[in-house]
Amino acid sequence: MTEIFQYTPGNSPLHRMNPVTKILLTICVCVAAFVTDSLIVLAALFVFDLLIGLTGGVFRKTLAVLKGLVKVSVFLFALQALLVRRGNVLFRIVTDEGLMLASKVVLRLIVVCLPLTLILAVTKISDLANAMVQVLHLPYPYAFTLTTAIRFVPQFMEEMTGIMEAQTARGVEFDTRNSIKKIGMILPLCAPLLISSIRRTTATAVAAEVRGFELRNHGSGYKKYGFGPIDLIAVLISAALIAGAVLLRNIP
Amino acid sequence: MIIAEKVSYGYSGSIRTVSDLSFHIKKGEFAAIVGENGAGKTTTVKLIDGLIKPTSGKMTVCGLDTASSRVSERARHVGFLFQNPDRQICQNTVREEIAFGLRAVSGKKRSDEIDRRTSEMLELFGFTGDEEPFSLSRGQRQQVALASVLAVDPEVLILDEPTTGLDYRECVRIMDMIREMNEQSGTTVVMVCHDMEIVLDYADRALVMAGGALIGDGRVKDIFRDEELMGKASLLPPQITGLALRLGGDFRDIDDAAAMADAVCGRMKEGKAI
Amino acid sequence: MIEIDGLTFQYDGAASPALKDISLSIEDGGFVGVIGHAGAGKTTLAGAISGIIPHSYKGDFYGSVKIDGMDTVDNRLTDISRLVGTVFQDTDSQIISSVVEDELLYGMENFGVPRGEIEERLSFALDEVGIPQLRNRTIASLSGGQRQKVAIASLIALRPKILVLDEPTGELDPGSSRQVFSLLRRLNSEYGMTIIVIEQKIMLLCEFAEKLVVMNRGEIAFSGDVRDVLLHIDELREIGVNCPRVALLSKLLSEKTGRQLPAAVNIDEAERMIKEMIA
Repeated sequence: MTEIFQYTPGNSPLHRMNPVTKILLTICVCVAAFVTDSLIVLAALFVFDLLIGLTGGVFRKTLAVLKGLVKVSVFLFALQALLVRRGNVLFRIVTDEGLMLASKVVLRLIVVCLPLTLILAVTKISDLANAMVQVLHLPYPYAFTLTTAIRFVPQFMEEMTGIMEAQTARGVEFDTRNSIKKIGMILPLCAPLLISSIRRTTATAVAAEVRGFELRNHGSGYKKYGFGPIDLIAVLISAALIAGAVLLRNIP
Repeated sequence: MIIAEKVSYGYSGSIRTVSDLSFHIKKGEFAAIVGENGAGKTTTVKLIDGLIKPTSGKMTVCGLDTASSRVSERARHVGFLFQNPDRQICQNTVREEIAFGLRAVSGKKRSDEIDRRTSEMLELFGFTGDEEPFSLSRGQRQQVALASVLAVDPEVLILDEPTTGLDYRECVRIMDMIREMNEQSGTTVVMVCHDMEIVLDYADRALVMAGGALIGDGRVKDIFRDEELMGKASLLPPQITGLALRLGGDFRDIDDAAAMADAVCGRMKEGKAI
Repeated sequence: MIEIDGLTFQYDGAASPALKDISLSIEDGGFVGVIGHAGAGKTTLAGAISGIIPHSYKGDFYGSVKIDGMDTVDNRLTDISRLVGTVFQDTDSQIISSVVEDELLYGMENFGVPRGEIEERLSFALDEVGIPQLRNRTIASLSGGQRQKVAIASLIALRPKILVLDEPTGELDPGSSRQVFSLLRRLNSEYGMTIIVIEQKIMLLCEFAEKLVVMNRGEIAFSGDVRDVLLHIDELREIGVNCPRVALLSKLLSEKTGRQLPAAVNIDEAERMIKEMIA
């Protein structure tokens, strides 16, 4: 589970693309998903996401993210399908429109989540931060905060797994199958998790400080992030995604 | 008490793999698992506790097959002290923390037995009970964690590098407490430890691991004198044992400084006599 | 040269000072081990040398700490950091990047190491620590020992005059711990880097360091050459500091024979001493 958010080394076109272009592409996929109201377009965007995974050589990770989204998706789908009352009744309180809307909500969620996680699989966090500072002239402290937050996710999850393991060993029934009961047991553990996270964040900040954090600016990068043909193609694709979503927003 | 029969875990090439472990740890034994980082020590103790299940083979602890019984059910028989006490501690006072483990295994919210046992442990460890765990030092937090594990009076006690990050005094205190449990109540102890002097001072038996396999199993004294085995596991014997091996002869079996000093003086007198 | 004069420091909100009237001077090219019970003030002392006290951790600061004549209070932390490299206790928190190479680049980029020099320093640091093969690996795929080496390499690349390490072998096995200390010894003897290392593993300290500073409740209890400090075994034990067993053996033999034997710091010395005695 934790490896989902971690970088996978490689040399695919996506790995070579400028991080800024990758951010643009990600944003465009998200915008397209929200602009459109068409199930077909959403499905097409989903296929596009899968293609990103394939091109980046991180298809297995793509599937892992999908698997991670299953529970939330099922929950959202059921909620929508049961709550929407418009349309023709298909089964008791489930309507055709409800099903349609539910499918769209779930598909939209997946379409948006996939590129957001995949960009981390094909981009080193430091490149992401450096490119934002160098190319977009984002002040470094902001870039640092963002990347540190991202970097903490797997550590946070690892810590949580460790805590749950330790609690199971002392008799807390984390190995129960009842999810609601499990959530109730997790809540009291948030305090120790928070304390260790704060400790960690402070340590990271100090470690950065003693290595010249304050001196860093948009000229500091050793690596330069140029734009090449791949980036041009990606920009064109991004534009096409938005255009397509806008033009086709009214088809079913 | 703990019977491992051809236990394997993980798949070839992946980390945290152990293969084909077979051993039998009897009631009341104090066993240490030694080896490099990545040798499979932590995986092995997690297998014993059932936090992970064998991919093949069978692990039986206190007569229960770890594959078919739940960890939380076995918690009353098996206590686990982790390297990092902060993963274990989740209550606001030391008293609550000790009672928490007792409640979890008994399934009761309150009982006289829980109160009695909690007070006993507080007294044993010298806590008032009102301390806030997170304002204590690392060594004291480790003691809190140990107290809540021992409160349950487990038949088997598993320790994963219990002395990491502790100073000498804290380390001795924790280890003496564990030895007392082992000798007084006959608690079976399995300990992962990097400090060979602690292993020598406290454990009877050593299991040596390397590359996910068990490569040696025997009395601590004998294991530390098997230079080939120790080399394979990238371990060095404690100083006095190492010295004894170099000096050889009558000195070869000596493990502690006082005995070594006596032996050297004895030899000097003999020398003068000749 | 590090000169600490009458340093007292109390963290904001703490009931008592973490350091009480510490005076200590460390020569260039020294290899100093710091040991003491939990809460004795070791980490605070290291922080005061690094400048993170009082710059990052606030509190009442009395006395002075000077690095090559530079007062740590009057100067920016960044400027102190050019001279003093610091390896913190928790390796996982101090690594900022996701790939080894980037971690080494980070400090060099910030301190403005000329572009032409970067590649050379990068490979030098990796070679020196013995991990050139890990250059393109992700941090997540490394073992604890390897991460510790990356953390040290990222500082070596900055070529500090002084390297301060807070329990660098805390989570490592005996083999990796020795490797880290051998590395420190090489940096010290070949490049004259001043090494200050906080460590609980007394055996390693006595074998590798030249001087020991023993702390007790915020004060310096003993300070001096390793062998001299080891003559106080009983007092050390009283304040919660163990000593190597070969040193204990030297003391027992001194008592039994009435000779003034120097404290042995490793097996080789103990072997030589005994062989001479029974020859």
